[in-house]
Amino acid sequence: MKNKYILWGLLLLGLSEPALAVPSFARQTGQDCAACHIGSYGPQLTPYGMKFKMGGYTESDGKEGHIPISAMLVQSFTNTKKDQTEDPAPHFKTNNNASLQEVSVFVAGRVNDNIGGFSQITWSEPDRKTTMDNFDLRFVKPMQIAGNDTIFGISLNNNPTIQDPFNTTPGWKFPYLGSELAPTPAAGQMIAGGLETQVLGATAYTLYDNHWYAELGGYQSFSKNMLNKMNIDPADKISGTSPYWRVAYFNDMHKSAYSVGLFGLSTHILPGREAGPTDKYTDIGIDGSYQFLGTREHVMTVDGSYIHENRKLDASFASDPAIKRNGTVNRLDLSTSYHYDKTYGLTAGFFDITGNKDSVLYEDLVADSGSRTNSPNSRGYTLQADWTPLGKENSWGAPFANMRLAVQYTGYTKFNGAKKDYDGLGRNASDNNTLYTSIWFAL
Amino acid sequence: MKRLMIILMTASISMSLIPQAYAGGDTANGKKVYEEECSDCHSVTAGKNKKGPSFFGVVGRKSATIADFNYSDAMRAKNIAWSPEAINDYIKAPKKSVPGGKMKYDGLDDEKSRTDVIAYIATLH
Repeated sequence: MKNKYILWGLLLLGLSEPALAVPSFARQTGQDCAACHIGSYGPQLTPYGMKFKMGGYTESDGKEGHIPISAMLVQSFTNTKKDQTEDPAPHFKTNNNASLQEVSVFVAGRVNDNIGGFSQITWSEPDRKTTMDNFDLRFVKPMQIAGNDTIFGISLNNNPTIQDPFNTTPGWKFPYLGSELAPTPAAGQMIAGGLETQVLGATAYTLYDNHWYAELGGYQSFSKNMLNKMNIDPADKISGTSPYWRVAYFNDMHKSAYSVGLFGLSTHILPGREAGPTDKYTDIGIDGSYQFLGTREHVMTVDGSYIHENRKLDASFASDPAIKRNGTVNRLDLSTSYHYDKTYGLTAGFFDITGNKDSVLYEDLVADSGSRTNSPNSRGYTLQADWTPLGKENSWGAPFANMRLAVQYTGYTKFNGAKKDYDGLGRNASDNNTLYTSIWFAL
Repeated sequence: MKRLMIILMTASISMSLIPQAYAGGDTANGKKVYEEECSDCHSVTAGKNKKGPSFFGVVGRKSATIADFNYSDAMRAKNIAWSPEAINDYIKAPKKSVPGGKMKYDGLDDEKSRTDVIAYIATLH
């Protein structure tokens, strides 16, 4: 039974989204936020922003004295259609919660032409503690191969896909910011935040001829001692090294851009960090994106990904044979956005989660989070409208003052296996429909 | 009135530097080409340098002469005046025109687009 809760913990880890807005990069490059970000605000990258990231965050305006420090604050409000059965976190109510969701400080910038990166320290009101958040530190070496521009790079990071330059992998797909106080579907995938901040990864990558991107590396768990120093609660441990790989084709045509790719992660987990059999997760994803940029007055994007996760839960099965040894979780994400004048944005997203039934992982009669049908199948949509008044070339306070105001609505047509009475206690999928508003500052 | 005369004289001198082929360019389309191809890295505001230097007043300007912009050694060695022909050659194939330069742009193949964007840039005074 202990392993069941470990698995739940792992699954729920996948619900958090990294939120990044790093104006010190704008100060370093002399660019406005809109050059790198769709809608003038992170994290959705333009082709220019993708190249800046693949270039190791090292590009600069050539001037000295830039201070590589940024800060970020997110204040949010969450309303669900029906009150939750229990408080979603200590000090919060069963509904209508205002939350100082994140206060972050970044060290973000270049060291020299070959070294750059960011690291984030975050305090959040739901967690009520300060922890080491995401980091991505890079070494890059630009060169010419067969007369074509080529970048070789190495990334040290603590969350698989956080180093990815595209807007489609779990670390960076829409929604870029969401509630941490609303119910979310039970099933997550290992590559989608299951290892976030618990691991150290080293990946080597290359961008050849500005088109071909390939990356290969591996992740190992931090020691308990190191996690304690970073104020992170130790979760399960990777047995050995988890290989991560990524290939993509990218074409930036200035007026538009597209990418297609494949990626994957294979992880053997020791539940509870105890020696013995492992739970094996193999994730393989396919993704694609298109951006119409035009004159930057009307910008439209389409992003999509499909990830298949295969599970062989030998460790969990050994401790609780009620858990199915073999299983799957699949997730489809599609989103499209339109931004006007780099200021006003509308985004619509669709998600569909499917997987095998399991009476232990998706248990009946657990209020709000259980499944009467023992199924993880969930489906829904997210709509967002946002206003980003700053972050352009001639904006007030640029490049220091940045703000985004957003209203987001997430609707569920199926939740943990059913539309009606999904938890066996009378809760419907639509009862979890969530209205989420946020105001996001960065400087 | 004196200020107006100076502006008009400056404008007429600048326009006189533009060969007929570029002066006949479609500045409205040139602005569109600028926004699509150049605006990520170049501002049209005087004194506003982004990844690349401001386009304001570039036609007729001597290369690598904006004091607070960090040019590449290759561009500093270029030592030319940015005539419309020189700009045309440069934006057609930047890496060929200035080997070792910092501009990563692959080049604007379409001749009409080059003509139009140069005509537009020439209006920035």
